[in-house]
Amino acid sequence: MTTSNIIDRSKRYTNPYLSGFLLGMVLLATFYITGRGLGASGALKSAVVTTVAAVSESHAAGSDYYSKFISDDKHPMNNWLVFQVIGVLAGAFLSGAFAGRLKLKVEHSPKITSRTRLIMAGIGGILFGIGSQLGRGCTSGTALSGMASMALAGFIALLAIFGGGYLFAYFFRKFWI
Amino acid sequence: MKEELIISGRMNPGIDPFLHIWHWHIPVYLFLGGLAAGILFFAALYTIMGREKEMPTAVKWATFVVPIALVLGLMALFFDLKHQLFFWRLYTTVRIESPMSWGAWVLMFITPLSMLWAASYIKEAIPDWEWKYKFMDQIMALVDKYRKALAWAMLALAVILGIYTGILLSAFNARPLWNTSLLGLLFLVSGMSTGAAVIMWMSKDHRERKIMSTIDLVLIIVELFFIIHLFMGFMASTAVQIEAAELFLGGEFTVSFWVFVVILGLVFPAILEIMELRGYKIPVAVPALLILFGGLVFRIIMVEAGQLTRYLY
Repeated sequence: MTTSNIIDRSKRYTNPYLSGFLLGMVLLATFYITGRGLGASGALKSAVVTTVAAVSESHAAGSDYYSKFISDDKHPMNNWLVFQVIGVLAGAFLSGAFAGRLKLKVEHSPKITSRTRLIMAGIGGILFGIGSQLGRGCTSGTALSGMASMALAGFIALLAIFGGGYLFAYFFRKFWI
Repeated sequence: MKEELIISGRMNPGIDPFLHIWHWHIPVYLFLGGLAAGILFFAALYTIMGREKEMPTAVKWATFVVPIALVLGLMALFFDLKHQLFFWRLYTTVRIESPMSWGAWVLMFITPLSMLWAASYIKEAIPDWEWKYKFMDQIMALVDKYRKALAWAMLALAVILGIYTGILLSAFNARPLWNTSLLGLLFLVSGMSTGAAVIMWMSKDHRERKIMSTIDLVLIIVELFFIIHLFMGFMASTAVQIEAAELFLGGEFTVSFWVFVVILGLVFPAILEIMELRGYKIPVAVPALLILFGGLVFRIIMVEAGQLTRYLY
């Protein structure tokens, strides 16, 4: 694994405004083709529910949270978001290959170590996972897909996610920059 | 004493309403058998063509995988047997009309041959290697002397083994999904593709990798054609065949088959191989692993779904 201290801002990156627009078009196509929005945390949730049910079926069935996603006629992994995330992985891999950036590396600022970056990213990810379940979805599921269907909760979630990040960025900046 | 007389297959709960006698053992065995056939085919082919120097992984190094794959596969097959201690009875007869007889005999010849083949290259892989017994050196000298003849035998046996993994299923004429003559060829091509993937993955030589990658790409295209042809055949056939095909066209196996076998196991690795041939940097393990994964899932699904299809109502 190599580490690069500075994110390579070569021109192989797509313009962020263009990618944002394209992402919106992907969302539109998703609604049109599947009748559902995009999501990410839902797939992870399915994986967690499946793992918990595999380790202790009685615990999963007894829990208010897990039992909601378990039924006899449908396996929790048989969920459209699981397949969508597999597609995201495949697509991202292709995109990385096209841009010539397929490499295992940790990107971080020169002032912190890879270890700090990984640990902090892990903690941040766990917090975001908990938050996404309290908020019934993550950035893509609640904010993006929610706003696209003009759901008020979507707008509130987006403001809360990015506003919260903006407010706390100052205090945690040393872990990143 | 409680006596039970079974006078019809319909009274056997393992057969009716659905056949459910084969679990993970058989698809794993078919996968490993196909993989071994694929690797041995290329080893024999490039030996016959006299290209050992250009294709060292295909001819030499990948064949070390074969005895391990065959032994593991045969162990899986053995665990599946109901009367395990009677397996030797397969070797008391030769039945040209029985796929199991073909399989038993071809494995009887190809397993020791693959061991000899790999053993004959062990000194090149590990320079300090010394055989414990003198007669091993003599056997290896014989293998070297008759290498071309052995390669021809291995080529034929590998093709038979690859086809056998398919006809083992297609001989079940009461299971419409299996009972198609395409299955032997489809399994052969798929096995050769997984074998090519292993060689490609193990190879350190850029040129050899490129050759195997191109071959694999052709095999994937042929396999995709066979899959389409398989369903065309089913859909143009009788109601039971149409029903068998419908398991994959909207039924229970639609998602697992098209997503994991066709898209992730064939189309996606094919795209990656095309990109690699056009000069993009792709870690070779990714397409290779996907092809192996697709090959295994393909066999699991075919064995599972085939048992659900039937003529009786």
